[in-house]
Amino acid sequence: MTSLQGGLTPPPAGIEASTGQRMRSIRLVLLGVGVLMLAWGAFVMFDSVRLTRIPGVALWIAAAIVLHDAILAPIVFAFGIALRRVGRRATGTIIAIVQGGIVVGSLVSLVAVPLIVAKNFAPANPTVLPLNYGLNLGIFWLVLAVVTVGLSVWAFLRGRRPDVAFPDDSGR
Amino acid sequence: MYEAQRALASPVRNPRMATVIGRLLGAAFLICFGTGLYSHFLQEPLDWMRFATRPEFLYQVTQGTHIITGIACFPLLLAKLYIVFPNLFAYPPVRGIVHFLERASIALFVGASLVQITIGLLNTYQWYPWPFPFRQVHFALGWVLIGLLVIHIAVKLPVITRYWNKSPSSDDEHLSDAVSGDRGSDAEAVRLWGTTRPNGVTGRVLDYIDATPRTASRVSRRGFLTTVGVATTAVVGLTAGQTFTPLNAVNLFAPRKKGVGQQGVPVNRTSEQAKVADAAMAPAWSLTLAVSGTERSFTRDELLALPQTSVQLPIACVEGWSQMASWRGVRLRDLADLMNADPDTSFRLISLEERGSFSKTQMGREYVRDPLTLVALELNGETLDLEHGYPARMIAPGRPGVLQTKWLSRIEAI
Repeated sequence: MTSLQGGLTPPPAGIEASTGQRMRSIRLVLLGVGVLMLAWGAFVMFDSVRLTRIPGVALWIAAAIVLHDAILAPIVFAFGIALRRVGRRATGTIIAIVQGGIVVGSLVSLVAVPLIVAKNFAPANPTVLPLNYGLNLGIFWLVLAVVTVGLSVWAFLRGRRPDVAFPDDSGR
Repeated sequence: MYEAQRALASPVRNPRMATVIGRLLGAAFLICFGTGLYSHFLQEPLDWMRFATRPEFLYQVTQGTHIITGIACFPLLLAKLYIVFPNLFAYPPVRGIVHFLERASIALFVGASLVQITIGLLNTYQWYPWPFPFRQVHFALGWVLIGLLVIHIAVKLPVITRYWNKSPSSDDEHLSDAVSGDRGSDAEAVRLWGTTRPNGVTGRVLDYIDATPRTASRVSRRGFLTTVGVATTAVVGLTAGQTFTPLNAVNLFAPRKKGVGQQGVPVNRTSEQAKVADAAMAPAWSLTLAVSGTERSFTRDELLALPQTSVQLPIACVEGWSQMASWRGVRLRDLADLMNADPDTSFRLISLEERGSFSKTQMGREYVRDPLTLVALELNGETLDLEHGYPARMIAPGRPGVLQTKWLSRIEAI
């Protein structure tokens, strides 16, 4: 296991030699401060939010983890595989451009779609959510598609040798 | 677990990349926390607290930054989670009590971060589809998250310091040894399954994944960083126009638009929500000032007869939007002097609104004595619209919109 998973257990070889005791004390101080702030946050939560509402907070936090780890991340993973398969004759650069375009569009949609949904629920007054967000999102995707295709064509015309590396199977 | 990590391996998923995106995200969290605390204490000051009244757009900048940085956290946080995702499949899942606490803190950190930025975003357009109060939970989670961030930094400090600067080798190290497909891991697989690979459907799925071409590391990393940069620029650039005028033209996805609203100014709480229309339009309305036992009432005409001052001040809301406007009315300082109030006096502002958490607010002496603080009677050259607080409202430099009390009824020395 490498250091990222090492946690508070001793750091891997090569790290502790140069840092040693100083690193250890800095980490302990940080850990102490962090735990205090976390505890203060928990106190503020229980102090200011009615007890019957706390399970709702916990539920939302748990749902967020599930939504990301069990739904969003696998979709992104499958999408990456699919894209690389579909584009197996394309260069890595073009795949990266197309992938980037779709990811940028998805992230902007993530921010924009709730606006469209919320606008259906009669906003508090006419100055809240005044824009046509559906139309704006359509325009954005259109511009994004044009830019992405343009960049891909440009990358294709540069005519570099394919830089897709097929995995070597020497490990099997 | 080993196979899952191996299948998820990517040139992007390495400690150097985790450090690069992680420090941006960490900075964003700290900015949100700092600006959030500032906004919180403006609204609920401790007794000894005094605030800066200049520059007069101070709150516009701090709260605009709070919202913009929060929106930037969407691409940054998802990028960070993408990088470290294989760690979810760490094996063995728990190696002891310390390891368990570490993983539990990460789970809470991830979940609470996602909830925090989501409820923050939806609050900017007053949409509350959750079963708990926004302000209190957002404030408490702020402390929780900063605590977890500091703990996370403490845990990962050796990694962070090692990968803070780019080193030639760091790019090719994966998140875990298992991922790099070394012989040791294969040996582990053989021990588990008698072969390097499980049989049946799982094996076939993994073979399929392995047979997929991988993008060259350098292209993959550059593509990833460019994508994160472009996505962050896009979500920020296309929403920040509600706060910062130069971006107004590309404001596609902000919940507010500059200039949209009565008299060119957006509205937060309406007269209908506040149930003040009758009281505000009543001819008998007057503004009462109460200072150390003396009370005096001013009709709107009497206020208009006092020396009038024009100021340019933004109205800046906790929800991130802001709007520059010209206001005209009586300096609060002049009214205080008329009542012989001590210059050290703070005031309580009371609205016609009977319910609502900001119907009574306090104003520290630094705002009371500021020459830009007005009891405003006109907005952008017209009589103040009912939705903007007719007959009279407060406008002061550098305060959140909720404290710019509309439909004033009474001003008391504290």
